[in-house]
Amino acid sequence: MSDKTINISDVVNLPLDLKEQKKALEQKSPAVVEGKVKVYDPNKDNVKNLLEMLKNKLSRQTVSSLVGCVHCGMCSESCHYALARPHDPTMTPAYKADQIRQIFKRYIDWTGRIFPWWVHAKTPKNDEDLNRLKNIVFGTCSGCRRCTLNCPMGVDTAVLVRLTRGLLTELGIVPEGVFVVDKDSWETGNQMGVSQEDYIETLEWQEEEVQAELDDPSFKIPIDKEDCDFMYTVNPREIKYDPRSIAYACKVFHMAGESWTMPSFGWDQTNFGLFSGDDKLGGYIAKNLYEAAKRLRAKRIVISECGHGYRSSRWEGYNWAKYKQDIPSESVLITLIRYINQGLIKVDPSRNPLSITYHDSCNLARSGDLTEEPRWILERICTDFREMYPNRSDNFCCTGGGGALSMVEYKPLRIEVAKVKADQLKATGAKLVCTSCHNCVDGLSDLIKHYKLDMQVVQILDLVAEALVIPEKNEKK
Amino acid sequence: MPQIEIGGKTYEVDEDGFLQELDKWSKEFAQGYAAVEGIEGELTEDHWKLINYIRDYYTQYGIAPMIRKLCKDCDFKLKYIYEMFPSGPAKGACKLAGLSKPTGCV
Repeated sequence: MSDKTINISDVVNLPLDLKEQKKALEQKSPAVVEGKVKVYDPNKDNVKNLLEMLKNKLSRQTVSSLVGCVHCGMCSESCHYALARPHDPTMTPAYKADQIRQIFKRYIDWTGRIFPWWVHAKTPKNDEDLNRLKNIVFGTCSGCRRCTLNCPMGVDTAVLVRLTRGLLTELGIVPEGVFVVDKDSWETGNQMGVSQEDYIETLEWQEEEVQAELDDPSFKIPIDKEDCDFMYTVNPREIKYDPRSIAYACKVFHMAGESWTMPSFGWDQTNFGLFSGDDKLGGYIAKNLYEAAKRLRAKRIVISECGHGYRSSRWEGYNWAKYKQDIPSESVLITLIRYINQGLIKVDPSRNPLSITYHDSCNLARSGDLTEEPRWILERICTDFREMYPNRSDNFCCTGGGGALSMVEYKPLRIEVAKVKADQLKATGAKLVCTSCHNCVDGLSDLIKHYKLDMQVVQILDLVAEALVIPEKNEKK
Repeated sequence: MPQIEIGGKTYEVDEDGFLQELDKWSKEFAQGYAAVEGIEGELTEDHWKLINYIRDYYTQYGIAPMIRKLCKDCDFKLKYIYEMFPSGPAKGACKLAGLSKPTGCV
């Protein structure tokens, strides 16, 4: 927690913590008993298992990234870890990817099988080596894919990091935070272990709150209503800790006269399978969502403000779940644009007079398709919008991506390299930084606190709710 | 494991500043942390009501309470909780109450 540059060997040699795994075994946690979540077994030949699995997990995408790197160094100019620690070559994306690349070369690529010394082919020798590999792929990369965009060879380092994370997850060699979230996801269908009862009671509570605010008893949050125009899905963080964003969204839907619903199960649009590299978990969570929409015969799936959730539910999930995409999906930003465009809701920008900049979530901008849409909305709901540079698909990560927020042991490094983001935020001179991702809210808040920036984080829905003009009949008497 | 010192006592916390063991908690710990979490001056009666509720709930069920339970049982509006704890219920109130870090992407 100091401002000193940390010694990277302290990070790479962090031991494998097994407290939570032991607890899960003692409690006979169903996900562990059924083998859905793997626990570490020192008696197994973990190195051999990793090599076997690697062979079976190769795809055209991973192999082209494994063989494509020419070590030109362009990636070190794009990664916030490498930019913040220029003295440290282990922060270079190519170095991180080389950790799996050298194993691939030694065991699969013909050059490394014949001339291992020539192509730097190498193999992990024992579980300690695998633990170091864990610390590199989970602790020194947020999977933001900025290096991918800047790679002249098209190497996707984040894909290799995810591939390696997935192999280690199968061996139970993972950070504690990842293990707990994976387990909760399998057991409850959402990443924060929220029970169905708690979920529904929270929605009922928010329904009462909005009814009181609007003085309108006809306001409803319809649960499991069939044949609606869309099904709204959220991040469990909204349910468990901060449901204000749900109230804001639902209020807007109500004002726009929308026909919509929320499912009683399959409501979590986030997906830790993206972070842990576990395609099976990714498929399970995504399928719950798609099946809910099908069951309710919803015409569309709307995804609340969340970067990795949007990427998982709209883009990657269909592959993980091997699911035919028959119901379209969209971000709630698209829904909002439709309402404003069609005059279904009215917004008054003068209600958001503070200077505002926008932080592009990596998963929305770089790995998704939303760059102009949030700006279109911001121009209509605030009076002083200022661009941050670089921006859009070239923006820097909030530094909390790739599940980093759940892996607290790597926080000192994360905060040190967040200097790049802090400088970028500071240069805007804005009072508020708006983002469209719950994870970015926490990532940015952490660094704003550490670097003592005079700034607050908001989301698009917060600003829309503030700017929303409520027709007179609904104004509180 | 990082340590912090409050009022002459040393506490083991995680890298995010969350206390490692619930029973090492003390009132001084909560008060000492308040300023870090954006709370000015002495903790009020309502702060303590919330902190004690969270601790009791955690002792009984082993998890942090849902924000809904917290608001209902303490009879606080959600907005008021954010006024009391600017860094929110998870990172503010739970931290002062001595709970370990909430799981998931928070």
